[in-house]
Amino acid sequence: KKEDGAKVLYLGHSLPQSHPVHKGILEFQKALENKSGGTLKVKIFPDGQLGSEREVLELLQIGSVAATKVSAATLSNFVPEYHILGIPYLFRDKNHRFEILEGAIGKSILEKGSKFWLRGLCYYDAGSRSFYTSSKPIRTPDDLRGLKIRVMNNQMAINMVNAMGGSATPLAYGELYTAIQQGVVDGAENNPPSFVTSNHYEISKYYTLDQHSAVPDVLLIGTKFWDKLSDKEKIWVQQAADESAQAQKKFWSDSVDESMRIAKEAGVEIIIPDKSLFAKKSKSVLEEFVNKYPDMETIVNQIKNE
Amino acid sequence: MSIEVISIIVLFVSFFGLLLLKVPVAYSIGISTTLSLLLNIDKMPGITTIAQRMTTGIDSFALLAIPFFILAGEIMKRGGIANRLINFAKSLVASLPGGLAYVNVLASMLFGAISGSALAAASAIGSIMTDRMEEEGYPRTLSASVNITASTTGLLIPPSNILIVYALASGGTASVAALFIAGYLPGILLGLAIMGYVAFIAINKNYAKGKRATLSEIWTYFRKAIFSLLLLVIVVGGIVAGIFTATEASVIAVLYAALLALAYGEMKRKDIPSILLSSAKTTAVVMFLICTSMAMSWLFSFEGIPEMISSFLLESLHNKFVIFFAINIILLIIGTFMDMTPAVLIFTPIFLPVVTALGMDPVHFGIVIVLNLCIGVCTPPVGTLLFVGSGVAKVSVTQVIKPLLPFLLIMIAVLMLISYIPEISMFLPRLFGL
Amino acid sequence: MSTAKIIFNKVNKLLEWFLIVIFALLVLDVLFQVFSRYFLGTSFTWTEEFARFSLIWMTILGAAYLNAKREHLSMDFLYQKFSTANKRRVSILIEVFIFLFALVVMVIGGLNLVYTTLHLEQLSGTLRIPLGYVYAIMPFSGLLIMCFSIYHISNIYSSKTNN
Ligand code: NA
Ligand code: NA
Repeated sequence: KKEDGAKVLYLGHSLPQSHPVHKGILEFQKALENKSGGTLKVKIFPDGQLGSEREVLELLQIGSVAATKVSAATLSNFVPEYHILGIPYLFRDKNHRFEILEGAIGKSILEKGSKFWLRGLCYYDAGSRSFYTSSKPIRTPDDLRGLKIRVMNNQMAINMVNAMGGSATPLAYGELYTAIQQGVVDGAENNPPSFVTSNHYEISKYYTLDQHSAVPDVLLIGTKFWDKLSDKEKIWVQQAADESAQAQKKFWSDSVDESMRIAKEAGVEIIIPDKSLFAKKSKSVLEEFVNKYPDMETIVNQIKNE
Repeated sequence: MSIEVISIIVLFVSFFGLLLLKVPVAYSIGISTTLSLLLNIDKMPGITTIAQRMTTGIDSFALLAIPFFILAGEIMKRGGIANRLINFAKSLVASLPGGLAYVNVLASMLFGAISGSALAAASAIGSIMTDRMEEEGYPRTLSASVNITASTTGLLIPPSNILIVYALASGGTASVAALFIAGYLPGILLGLAIMGYVAFIAINKNYAKGKRATLSEIWTYFRKAIFSLLLLVIVVGGIVAGIFTATEASVIAVLYAALLALAYGEMKRKDIPSILLSSAKTTAVVMFLICTSMAMSWLFSFEGIPEMISSFLLESLHNKFVIFFAINIILLIIGTFMDMTPAVLIFTPIFLPVVTALGMDPVHFGIVIVLNLCIGVCTPPVGTLLFVGSGVAKVSVTQVIKPLLPFLLIMIAVLMLISYIPEISMFLPRLFGL
Repeated sequence: MSTAKIIFNKVNKLLEWFLIVIFALLVLDVLFQVFSRYFLGTSFTWTEEFARFSLIWMTILGAAYLNAKREHLSMDFLYQKFSTANKRRVSILIEVFIFLFALVVMVIGGLNLVYTTLHLEQLSGTLRIPLGYVYAIMPFSGLLIMCFSIYHISNIYSSKTNN
């Protein structure tokens, strides 16, 4: 869409404006306007104003919205390669994760999207996800037995919780607060900033840092919009995205520290378990995945060996 | 003129034009949205986006409660449950001045307390009560006015489909459980206010009092109605106690009402297909309106209207009370020509950020917007309850307007109380820690 | 009875049974979800998605059925004041508007939506069915609505000649 001679990139996402990933997107907006001398502008629609993650991805394909930020988990229903990033305990640690995502493997996954009209620009750090529960603490995988854990509507997340012994319950995120409070589910799993911004820490007494998965967020542009950009403009967009990804890492780690502080002050018991026990239990998820997508086994092995 | 302004003018002019021509409301919304969006983006992405918003707009588990509460209401209407509630209500209040009018209000409240849709209440209670009231000298237009306004209490008293729609529109900032509990006191207050006005008329016009029911008679009718009333405990109790979500509670209500109606023998197994069909029809009316409203709501976001209106309100009106008042007036005007469901879906995203910025609880605002639009569904030109209520009373819409007016003023007075005294809405949710 | 009327009635009967069956399945599906969680202690992950998709089908198909019966909510304040001849003209105009909306948004827009989602192979989260199948109800209902509009217009014309 054009406005006063400038091209305007409409960008919709579902996070609140206080979220560290939104701050990363603001960096992208700033960097792109600077580089292009104001000829490329970004109009951001936070809070899911243009629809849920899945719906906005579709709007990118349709061509009415230019760009979005979604979780790699949502993206995997469009571009199967993103399933890989949801495998439990795929990365050894944070450094390993950044090396992979910013290296050749991460870039090749981003490029896979173009075939589906969704070009990946960069990854945003979304930390790692851990369990939180309202009435019963989880110290070992055995404690998960019989607990109803809310997961995203995503087959791998469901398989993982079930493999660890819990009972995966997909539920809309908006219903989750009351569902935990009233005991419809016993707990859920998410990263620290989401645990706090959703206010779930008020009603969940235990946070078990088992860090079972580290699904990143992805900034995307629709190829319908991308193909209309000049070569110079394409370079600006990519550079702005890369710069914003670097800045966002800092926003994220600040937000994790702040969130953990808030949770602790609210009396949430932080449990540091033996992660290897959880990793062992979740091995079957990887086996099942490799059986289903045999051609992706090499990428998984490359990641593990790097 | 900027393209944004032109497309908004196109939107409103075409919407009202189509509405006046008797084009169905859902289509009027859909067509005007399409025209307006096509001024902004290319043709193919534009129409595809509207098709997508119409389908994904109803892709929500929470919305499933709507067909289920409609179905449960239909079963209660046909299965003898409504009749039992009326008899019980009669034994309680028929002996007061204006007795049968009270029965109408109380029965609407009781029916509203077990069903999610006001249309079911208006048609179930209205079709039974109007004739009985006429026998005792009440003009049919007065009965219709009582019936129409009293059935709105069922939109506030849980379960309530419109509160579910609001929870969706609020983007999850207000939970269904909290909204349900918050609706009780405002709903009861509204019912009492209507009863107060009924008493005033009845004493003036000297309408007949019913015979005072003895305690044993009350007990008899209570016993006959108890399994119907138990539905209230199951549905609302089940949600508040965390046994199930609102959607699941609605399907339990269907099961329970069906078993009860079969046990009473007033619904036969062979009636089930026709009950399902008429509920599916009602569902399609409401849900198809949601489809096109979601497209219009998306268009508003895409045009940046919510920010425009909220910054205008916050910058030009400095006083919190004045802003609440202004919002109420705007909503009252919107309510006259727009059905409740699209109005909630389109205007919640616009006004909610404004009022929360001023410190209003999203749950409280939900009750305010719903009560405000309750007035709208009773007014011409577009007033679903007005149409249904006049229809079952077999009187024309224009005849009802005059006797209806004082009832609407009563509702506006209650609206002001609910708007400016948050405790009426928030007391119960806070008590239950929701 | 004219052939058109016979077909019209047959299609309506079929639509009615579709709606009844979808609604019944919807009730059973969500009941099963509640009971499986409480009595079997497990959640089947497909019940939620099935319910959401059924609701979409029931709504959009139901909208077409309402068009056949002309039972969509509308306001007739101005309409009541029209003369019989004008009422007939306006009724035709209404059907033309509905026809155009069904053609442009539901059929053309809907088909493009179905094409895009099928071509780009998007799958649903748990049932793993192509989303395009869910969206297919949109052009399908749109086509029905267009046929109903033509049927209603021809009826208005023939009632004029009969008078
Ligand atoms: Na109700
Ligand atoms: Na109205």
